[in-house]
Amino acid sequence: MDALVFVLAGAMATATPMLLAALGELVVEKAGVLNLSIEGMMAIAAAIAFMVTLGTHDHTLGLLAGVVSGVLLSLVFAMLVLVFMANQVAAGLAVGILGLGLSALLGRAYEGMTILPLAKLSIPVLSGLPVIGPVLFGQDVVVYLAFALAALIAWFLYATKAGLKLRVIGENPATAHALGLWPVATRLAAIAFGGAMAGLAGGYASTVLTPVWSQDMIAGRGWIAVALVVFGTWRPARIVVGAYLFGAVSLLGLALQALGIGIPSQLMTCMPYVLTIVVLVVISADKVRIRLNAPASLGENYRPTT
Amino acid sequence: MTNWMKRILVTGTMLAGLVTAAHADPFRIGYLIPNPVGDVGWSHELDAGAKAIQEHFGDKVEVQTVNSLGEGPDATRVMDKMAADGFNMLILGSFGYQQDGLKLAKRYPNLSVVHIGGYLNAKNFSTLAPRHYEAAYLCGMAAGMVTKSETLGVIAAFPLPEVLNIMNAYVLGAQSTNQSLKPVKVIWLNSWFDPAKEKASAESLASQGSDVIYSLFPGTPAPVAVAEQLGVYATVTHSDNTKYAPTKHLCAGQLNFGPVLIDKVQQAMDKAFKGDDVFAGVKEGTIAVAGLNNDLSADQKAQILATQDQMRAGTFNPFTGPIASNDGKDAVPAGTALDDAAIKSMKFLVKGIDTTIPN
Amino acid sequence: MKFLGFWMEPRTETSPLSTLVIALITIALSIATMIGMFLLLGASPGVVLYSFFVEPLSSSYNLGEVLIKASPLILIAQGLAIGFRAKVWNIGAEGQLIIGAICASLLPIYWSDTDSAWLLPGMIVAGALAGMAWAGIAAFLRTKFNASEIIVTLMLTEIAKQVLYYLLTGALRDPSGYNFPQSVMFPDAGLYPTFGGEGVRANLSVFITLAMTVGCWIFVTKTFAAFRLLVGGVAPDAARYAGFSQRQAIWISMLIGGAAAGLAGVGEIAGPIGKLQPILSPGYGYAGIIVAFLGGLNPIGIFFAGLFMAVIYVGGDIALVSAGIPTSAPVVFQGLLLVFYLASSFFMRFKFRALPRERTATEGV
Repeated sequence: MDALVFVLAGAMATATPMLLAALGELVVEKAGVLNLSIEGMMAIAAAIAFMVTLGTHDHTLGLLAGVVSGVLLSLVFAMLVLVFMANQVAAGLAVGILGLGLSALLGRAYEGMTILPLAKLSIPVLSGLPVIGPVLFGQDVVVYLAFALAALIAWFLYATKAGLKLRVIGENPATAHALGLWPVATRLAAIAFGGAMAGLAGGYASTVLTPVWSQDMIAGRGWIAVALVVFGTWRPARIVVGAYLFGAVSLLGLALQALGIGIPSQLMTCMPYVLTIVVLVVISADKVRIRLNAPASLGENYRPTT
Repeated sequence: MTNWMKRILVTGTMLAGLVTAAHADPFRIGYLIPNPVGDVGWSHELDAGAKAIQEHFGDKVEVQTVNSLGEGPDATRVMDKMAADGFNMLILGSFGYQQDGLKLAKRYPNLSVVHIGGYLNAKNFSTLAPRHYEAAYLCGMAAGMVTKSETLGVIAAFPLPEVLNIMNAYVLGAQSTNQSLKPVKVIWLNSWFDPAKEKASAESLASQGSDVIYSLFPGTPAPVAVAEQLGVYATVTHSDNTKYAPTKHLCAGQLNFGPVLIDKVQQAMDKAFKGDDVFAGVKEGTIAVAGLNNDLSADQKAQILATQDQMRAGTFNPFTGPIASNDGKDAVPAGTALDDAAIKSMKFLVKGIDTTIPN
Repeated sequence: MKFLGFWMEPRTETSPLSTLVIALITIALSIATMIGMFLLLGASPGVVLYSFFVEPLSSSYNLGEVLIKASPLILIAQGLAIGFRAKVWNIGAEGQLIIGAICASLLPIYWSDTDSAWLLPGMIVAGALAGMAWAGIAAFLRTKFNASEIIVTLMLTEIAKQVLYYLLTGALRDPSGYNFPQSVMFPDAGLYPTFGGEGVRANLSVFITLAMTVGCWIFVTKTFAAFRLLVGGVAPDAARYAGFSQRQAIWISMLIGGAAAGLAGVGEIAGPIGKLQPILSPGYGYAGIIVAFLGGLNPIGIFFAGLFMAVIYVGGDIALVSAGIPTSAPVVFQGLLLVFYLASSFFMRFKFRALPRERTATEGV
């Protein structure tokens, strides 16, 4: 029973960095831009957020610092892609590498240090309920924030005019421009928002999820976030489900090991990645669904001619 | 870079070289550390060793450490540069530097090399391995004493050779003070620097009843810190991690490279360097328990320290038979004890550990 | 179109002069930024620059190091560039390298006492085929199920790492190696012969890289297949209309990229490493992507970009010792190079126009 609670409750927190980053990338991609530098943005945010939290003993300041550093790095990407018309994949990889290198460079004096953890919420009656108590009502603040952001983004994209405009720009920026919309400015805002979310994700990872910073701690979660957007066919609710599923499966391997089940540990470490491929294949095979939800101009630069 | 700039640079460097050469040449030691140096852990203790050398010998030596080096051909390049630059001694802090370190030692016969964590030797290539397992046994005793759920958990990164003998010693130590232990649970991380995974592993073990978690060669202090959060005891290798678990830190196997390395440096400076295999533990001052928790009674602490004293005197070998392995065989028959070679090449797991390793 | 207030128009052809100027500006900007960074780090810029750019070329050992570093970078970049030009994004070269190395290593591990002249060629073939197969998985999933190859190749890389660890702690482990996760040392017949003198590590795998470079150059400039790939990347609709098969483009791209990565893996285990071990590559699969872009996705450009990157890698290792810079500094340098390159190559594709043309009635979007 406890293994189950561990997996379900732990999945919430484990999934939160990937969920936050994926939600940000969702908005960016809906605007038509593919930003592959998430790993680098998370890494530098993790380093900066940790340094600030260590110095000020204030998690909120640390997370804010993480957000700011994510935004700043994303602006480098925005400049490359919007102003210099660089290939989006190349630009994303370049900025990602830069972010990873900078995070290691800036944070090297902080390797292995620790800070006080952020407390988990404890709601009077609800947290005490068996199983669903700790799973649903015993998480830290940012987990609930991620939920709220997912709902907020869904509302923004599908129930507001601004969201509609963003989606139109993602489908066909030239037509949007002819209609009087501002593709470049909107994409800039979207990229910055993606940077903020990745920054929050990275800051959360190093100050709340584990109160430790280490050079390679993001460990590929930025790439998982990219996968999650495709998983969820560009819809927020499905991205939430996908993130928790991924988190649960990665913890499942650890739970099975602790139970003493004799499957080679390397195999269990592979599980989340194999699962990602399988789900991706299933989702992508449905061409209709993909075409309905994937922004048509994703990955192509918009070249304003007037 | 233009020609005249190049000439100025080269001349300047040469002049600088001449100026420094005018003083009595300090004994130059190159010190290679595989990972970033943190507050605790393998790399930290290696760095502490370097500082101990510098402090002991003062102006007579110049220690240059390079860290975060990884283990591939890049590390070799750095080693080679140091040798080509005329360093007198190299200290290599990771198993992966072995092959190329050995080749380098053959090419530079006047270079003394100490390799920490290997098994090949040459005239000027010495190996040093800490007897982690001695402290593991002692920490296991502590774990057996305090556990109330009778379940111990272990988090290990990779099934490296020493990991097996350390894990076995830990469990044997626990079994020596606690006859009613349930099978020990093990989680293999298969990665080095993933604090989120380390934390999740600690939570997984705790959720299934472990009330003492042993972090074996942890990449970061995350599992220890999480143990404190979860309210379970933490034992750990390499360094005293009390600052990460102020109330629940039970026992650490503290490394101290200083004494043995200072000895080797002195040998090299006296031109009497031995290319031997040093397996150093409590006796040589390389390993000791640290950070014993105050929940242990004075008697319990005394018992642990007494066993440590026996190790220091050379009269206690944790791997004295009879020891059964977890697949039912008799690993160490009664009346015998494993020698160093057998300890280093240990392939079995003692009875009472619940995990599998590939053959 | 407008760029910061100036009117730009696409160039119809790129002049070699502009390519060179762009390259120099990129390097100059990156170096300037790095000098600022080194000053902040407290390292002496002169020493650092000397270590980065002069010392790697100053001895036969160092030149050998540059070659063994450049060889896998160029090899992988050539293979990946074929696909990138067709917008097939193989991000998993690192995993294909690992799988190529694993399969190639099976031969010297099981025939560890042989001195047959067929051992090394066998390893080369095995490595290339294995890398192709691993990349082929992504090609299959993309062509059959439309699954993004970016994500599949990335996931396959992580899986490849775990496969390596699993084999090294079990089936392929050296039985007399005190349980360390590594294979036996390969016999001499399973190693590339070295050249250049005592202690120099340059080996004959550079010829494979040279062959790949020449082969790619011929492929790209002379064959119609490459033209089809290029059109498929630049103007996919036109390509479809002309009947160029996207399926074929994906398969060709992924197989070539996978084979190149697998060959690079063989180059490492039959070269400086000499056995199979957990860490086979310091990120060549990813660095190869950088080299591909820095080289403008052009075989000759990639050749020089790869050499340049190798000099920086080797110089970075030297600077670790001589200037005490941290290991992350060269990584930042590479990131900066790519960022500045992408920014300045904008000017390779567009040129300034003095005044906006008079707008006529037919001018559209």
